[in-house]
Amino acid sequence: MVSKKKSKKAEIISFQDTILNLQKYWSKQGCVILQPYDLEIGAGTFHPATTLRTLGEKSWKTAYVQPSRRPTDGRYGDNPNRLQHYYQFQVLIKPSPKNIKKIYLRSLATIGINYEEHDIRFVEDDWESPTLGAAGLGWEVWCDGMEITQFTYFQKMAGIECSPISVEITYGLERLCMFTQNKKNVFDLVWNNEGILYKDIFHQSEKEFSAYNFEHANTENLFKIFDMLEQEAKSLIEKKVSLPAYDQCLKSSHVFNILDARGVISVARRAEYIARIRDLTREIGKVWLESQN
Amino acid sequence: MSELFLELFSEEIPAKLQINARKEVLQIFKIFFEENEIITKGNFKVYSTPNRLVINIDKLTKEIVKKAEEIRGPNTEAPERALEGFLKSNNIQKNQIYKKKTEKGEFYFYEKPSQKIKIFDLFKKNLPNLLRKISWKKSMKWGEHDLYWGRPLKSILAVFDGKILEFNMNHLKSSNKTFLNKELEENEKLFSNFKSYNKFFKKKGIIIDQDKRKESIRNEIKKYSIKKNIKINLNERLLEEISNIVEKPKVLICEFDKRFLNIPKEILIITMQNHQKYFPTFDKKEKLTNMFLVVADIKDQKGFVKLGNERVIEARLSDAEFFWNKNRSQNLVKQVTNLKNINYFKGLGTYLDKVQRMRKLSALISDELLISKDKIEIASSICKVDLMSDLVNEFPELQGVMGGHFAQYQGFDQEISQAVTEHYLPIGTDSQIPKKPYSIALSLSDKLDSLVGFFGLGLKPTSSKDPYALRRMAISIVRLIVENDKKFKLRDLLNYSCMFYKDQGHKFDSKKIQKEISEFILDRLKNYLKEKKIRHDIIESSTSSFGLDDIVKIYKKSLYLNKNINKDFVIDVITIYKRSSNILNNEKQDVSKFVGSADPGLFKNDYEKNLYKKIQHIKSNFSNADKEDNHEEILKILSDTKIQVNEFFDNVIVNDEDEIIKKNRLELLQMLCKSFENYFNFSKIEA
Repeated sequence: MVSKKKSKKAEIISFQDTILNLQKYWSKQGCVILQPYDLEIGAGTFHPATTLRTLGEKSWKTAYVQPSRRPTDGRYGDNPNRLQHYYQFQVLIKPSPKNIKKIYLRSLATIGINYEEHDIRFVEDDWESPTLGAAGLGWEVWCDGMEITQFTYFQKMAGIECSPISVEITYGLERLCMFTQNKKNVFDLVWNNEGILYKDIFHQSEKEFSAYNFEHANTENLFKIFDMLEQEAKSLIEKKVSLPAYDQCLKSSHVFNILDARGVISVARRAEYIARIRDLTREIGKVWLESQN
Repeated sequence: MSELFLELFSEEIPAKLQINARKEVLQIFKIFFEENEIITKGNFKVYSTPNRLVINIDKLTKEIVKKAEEIRGPNTEAPERALEGFLKSNNIQKNQIYKKKTEKGEFYFYEKPSQKIKIFDLFKKNLPNLLRKISWKKSMKWGEHDLYWGRPLKSILAVFDGKILEFNMNHLKSSNKTFLNKELEENEKLFSNFKSYNKFFKKKGIIIDQDKRKESIRNEIKKYSIKKNIKINLNERLLEEISNIVEKPKVLICEFDKRFLNIPKEILIITMQNHQKYFPTFDKKEKLTNMFLVVADIKDQKGFVKLGNERVIEARLSDAEFFWNKNRSQNLVKQVTNLKNINYFKGLGTYLDKVQRMRKLSALISDELLISKDKIEIASSICKVDLMSDLVNEFPELQGVMGGHFAQYQGFDQEISQAVTEHYLPIGTDSQIPKKPYSIALSLSDKLDSLVGFFGLGLKPTSSKDPYALRRMAISIVRLIVENDKKFKLRDLLNYSCMFYKDQGHKFDSKKIQKEISEFILDRLKNYLKEKKIRHDIIESSTSSFGLDDIVKIYKKSLYLNKNINKDFVIDVITIYKRSSNILNNEKQDVSKFVGSADPGLFKNDYEKNLYKKIQHIKSNFSNADKEDNHEEILKILSDTKIQVNEFFDNVIVNDEDEIIKKNRLELLQMLCKSFENYFNFSKIEA
């Protein structure tokens, strides 16, 4: 029994090694390995390397880690499964390769999951992002009942029909590592092989950001900031500079998320704010596409 | 005899799309067979696994013979161009046609000879189009291809009697091979018929036939049920879904920590069933146990699958437990004012506005149900608070149910917490109906308030669209009333509900709203009666005889009449009524001016007197309220007038020369009709 435990411990792949292994694997598949986008965004999909590069005919392969902010999911570091800041590992390939399922399943082996020993399921999950004006068909990938990846063929982005079609693969790194490291609490994840745990790095920030998102954020100012960002984005759209315009749009989206977490946006106004962001994305998508031709 | 065998191999197609595609494929092929007069006496089957859509039709004839037929062309007088068109469309020369006279003139004709067509060729030519006809409720494109399919289609196996049916469909080319490894899409193998294909996969534990797969899961579940002495209330919908997301099902029994059984069981069941697709289990007393069944798609050789699933449910349940502990102690009453922060509907105010209206409305209903006004007011105030809880946020389908649990935990009266639990019910036609008076009152006030609000905004449903599910709401109101056998002054309640909106500053046209809602609810009642298989004429008569306040009366009388319409005494009643009312209706004068009060002083004979006496007798019976529900007795009393009425008609001429006497006799008949109408307006009943 003891020896078995020992051997198991040695097998643990740390959080940072998981990232490194995935980067190495996808780099071998020909992906451009990017660094996280330097703005607060809700998911790897919002990175311009995904949203904008999905549009147009040029081939594109990329993989990157993206810190993702979901203010409403904050739990002051008290909940073993929820975080307002977590990491996604994002892969985007255009056009989607024929053997993408095989490439994906092989990637799991590099992070400690032998697909033949587990119940791997592709469970229907049609994806839609109202703020991005985007939609795709695909699955959540379940491993023994646990969702470890989202797998999506984008059909529409920024309100524009995609052609060719990109495939997006998003690994939820914390969940994945909780699975491979056999942890019940996200804060107990092993970050590296030197004894640093997830909580050593993120517990305080979860606590403080939850307090900021739910209690301290100055909503009056944030409403103003939202309007200002929207204005800025509109003026940049007119000037046909899509990337800076998109940055403003991402910022406004994050401001909206904080306001949402503070509970100051009513249901009716919520729809209105989402529509405002979507309208920006749509215009930016058009400008970006023009710039590609 | 020949065999057609197709396999369309794709990435994982969701259960619903698969089920739908199977039905469609069957339909598409059946129609194609009919159109081409292809006959088969064998299998006509469509199977699927998440990755494989299989079509197998056997005992086919090798060829079909199209009979010779005479085809009529254009009129011989028609312009030359018409003839050219005819020749071209039939691919023939002018020497192959002949002229013939018909009733409509002279025409060109072509005798198309009988033709033999090889089924092989027919399939080869038509398969791509047939397959493209599958409409996939949701379809997608992938890569650089232009084909639409449920999920990326990777290969097409198409053989007829072992021979490849070669064709191209978009970027794909058919062959006689398929991938054995569905994960990596590797290891191609050649198959020449369905039997060997099916057998090959069966050896690997893969069940191609979805029905057999389902039965195999059902049997394994049964085995566990016996072995572990547990009950599984097999949810057929879940079983259907699961059998379409696996190809080699293996049922595993797993457990979660018993401490989670302290969380409300609805949360556990939803987590297991809806989120994780597990089967919850119960003991002999129907109590939920900590064991659950997982249908895996792999043999769990190392125990990883069981372990993994147990960890997932543990994580999910501890999340739910965390919220349960947090939410249940949040004081419901103190949170009521926070409802001002959530909008009920644009133009109808917040949820605080709504519960304030409901509070007043349910207080009025409490008077009718003789229940405590204080209690129903409390229930109304707190019933929507759970919408702000983390748990309802996580499990929206548990709205109401969670509120009920919170209320119970916080020591509210059992009647109050039950009313909160049940106030969204009934939800569908099969849904459970609240039976307790507090629950009825709360449910009714919620629904009436919503109907008035939406009609007030002019958002009543159209014939095709009902985005706010108002029909369902109205049906629920009908069911609440009928199935609880309760009388409500609905018209008053609607009027008050409009007033409560007006008090909050809404500018509603009360009269219009009330009229529209009355008609709307009565229409739903008609539908409800129709579903109970009640005759159309009875429905029409009963709903035009009585109004919105008499829903129970309408229901009961319709039901009774429908059941007994062929009994002698009922037939008599209808005949008597019709005979009398026909005479009134044949009068050129306006019948409505007859009020139904004959003057006995003007009677000329005993027949009139006797009939008059009989009518008085009926009237005295009607004033006896106890008899209201005794349909048979009332109808028998009415039918009892038969002798007097017949004698009257046999011996008395209504159309007397003396206008005064004639009028008096018509009044007597009107009196008779009116007394019948007190029970029911029989005029629209078809004899």
